[in-house]
Amino acid sequence: MDSITIENFRCFRQRQTARLAPLTLLVGENSTGKTSFLALIRALSDLTVGFQAQDILVGIQPPDFKEDPYDLGSFDEIVHYRGGREGRTGTFNATVTRISKYETGDEPYQFHVTFGKKGTTPVPIKTRFAHGDTWSEQDFSTVGAYTLRFGTHRGSWEWNAPDEFRTLFEFREGKLPMVFYFPRVLNENITPLHASPPDTQEDHESLEDMVFNFRLDTQRPFASAPVRSKPRRTYDPARTTSDPEGDYVPMYLASMFFENKKTWTKLKNELESFGKFAGLFDEVSIKSLGKRDSEPFQLQVRKSSGRSKGPWRNLIDVGYGVSQVLPVITELLRPDAPDTFLLQQPEVHLHPSAQAALGSLFCQVASRDRQLIVETHSDHLLDRVRMDVRDGKSDLKPEDVSILFFERGDLDVHIHSLRIDEEGNIVDAPDGYRSFFMEETARSLGL
Amino acid sequence: MCAIMDANVAGEVFIKRPKPAGQPPTAGEKFLIWIKEGPGHLVVGGKLRKELGRVNLFQEWAREAQLSGKLRSINDERVNQNTAKLEAKRNYRSNDPHVIALAQISGVRLLYTNDKRLQDDFRNEMLIDDPQGQIYETLKGKKFTATHKGLLSREDLCPLKR
Repeated sequence: MDSITIENFRCFRQRQTARLAPLTLLVGENSTGKTSFLALIRALSDLTVGFQAQDILVGIQPPDFKEDPYDLGSFDEIVHYRGGREGRTGTFNATVTRISKYETGDEPYQFHVTFGKKGTTPVPIKTRFAHGDTWSEQDFSTVGAYTLRFGTHRGSWEWNAPDEFRTLFEFREGKLPMVFYFPRVLNENITPLHASPPDTQEDHESLEDMVFNFRLDTQRPFASAPVRSKPRRTYDPARTTSDPEGDYVPMYLASMFFENKKTWTKLKNELESFGKFAGLFDEVSIKSLGKRDSEPFQLQVRKSSGRSKGPWRNLIDVGYGVSQVLPVITELLRPDAPDTFLLQQPEVHLHPSAQAALGSLFCQVASRDRQLIVETHSDHLLDRVRMDVRDGKSDLKPEDVSILFFERGDLDVHIHSLRIDEEGNIVDAPDGYRSFFMEETARSLGL
Repeated sequence: MCAIMDANVAGEVFIKRPKPAGQPPTAGEKFLIWIKEGPGHLVVGGKLRKELGRVNLFQEWAREAQLSGKLRSINDERVNQNTAKLEAKRNYRSNDPHVIALAQISGVRLLYTNDKRLQDDFRNEMLIDDPQGQIYETLKGKKFTATHKGLLSREDLCPLKR
């Protein structure tokens, strides 16, 4: 995603646009909507992936705003609450844009969705896809409004669903219908708008290409929880599917160790490279407690000093920081990592030097093909990113970093999109940015 | 809004408090308040960065100011190259061509200095123009005056984005 525009969502009242980059850092005080922002990104990602991947006759699963690691509650908790007489708004809006990875040109793809209330949950009631002069609008908000409008460079048209297909516009078993398909399939009842010529097969293909080329991701984003699971002395081989707390990570590492030596060796080298850089550990290994891969195992790390190697230690016997960061770095470095990461405070329990090292790792991993959106309170991480970009320590360019500052106003929150320039300067910061830190520094220095 | 600060006034800006109660902030203190609480930014680069780095309080303050976007770095190499060009021409009177070079490269037209020769150079439109350089000074007194206030509110003296 290159940008996201939100309105009337949680604490964000005003319509506002945030710039997203390969590496986006979310900063600001507690309770300023950073986690809600991450939840919305996952919801929009799910929705657009759904438009590509789901069966047209089955429809699309509306995004789940209560799925771990985010629980935003029901519609009434999610829509902006203005307080007093103004109360809650009836809908909230979001628009995402992205420059396609698969096509040349700078024209962004745009997906807009308005969420309304169905029962107690938020569901999309209006959607709009657009790319250049090709667009498609669907409105599910009004019973009886069975109309799809679409346009290309040749003109614009309106398709009215025939009576027998009107259920296509309705939610079936809680799924959102994929209406944009149907004019092509049911090529009738299409009315030209604004003196447009009759629609052609080419127009319909442009429409479908636009929706399918939007391609936010091919996989769901990885969304980490702010606190990862506690380490255990011994693990039993079990599921290796991803979860926000990183419960599965020891099992995933063990499965690579036992079943895929090539991947294990590469991943082990990368984990150890970060471990050394961050001063956390020099080696990582799996110790099987039986003769078969179905037997319990332990996850061990070792630190060395000069030529002498230290003892292997169980993960539970080393500092908490190691077990807290291991799920995040494993997920970032695994060969089948997803395209988008939504990380909440990955720096928890880490020493400042390791927090800074994590910043360097983010600079190395982030790219146009792997987007990291990171909520952080770590100055050390932020400062390392700033310096690594300035010094060209990775391929990341200044324009590949966005710092989103969440600033609380009276009753709502404003998101400021800050940049880093080639000299490592923080640019576009509002007056209130880090005012607390400036005050504390001045006070500390007696200024 | 932004300004360049000569090393010779750093002691007026980065000065330890507390002061006697009821005394209004001096022009130097107001300059710092303009940066840390207001719209001001301090611009550094080249040899001036090193000179200011020798001021202990500045050095400690600078890290936070950089992270907060209040301290703007201009590429040292570019400033140093421009300084070398000025030194080859010798068309200035002061011994601070690196400050003039920084202003030329950054476009900043507000300088806090009490060095008379540097003030003359900075006002010399053969060296600094479009617009003419302006001086924030405390040679006639430390008090914060309307002139100081006017200079700190001028947006045309800083071409850098905030």
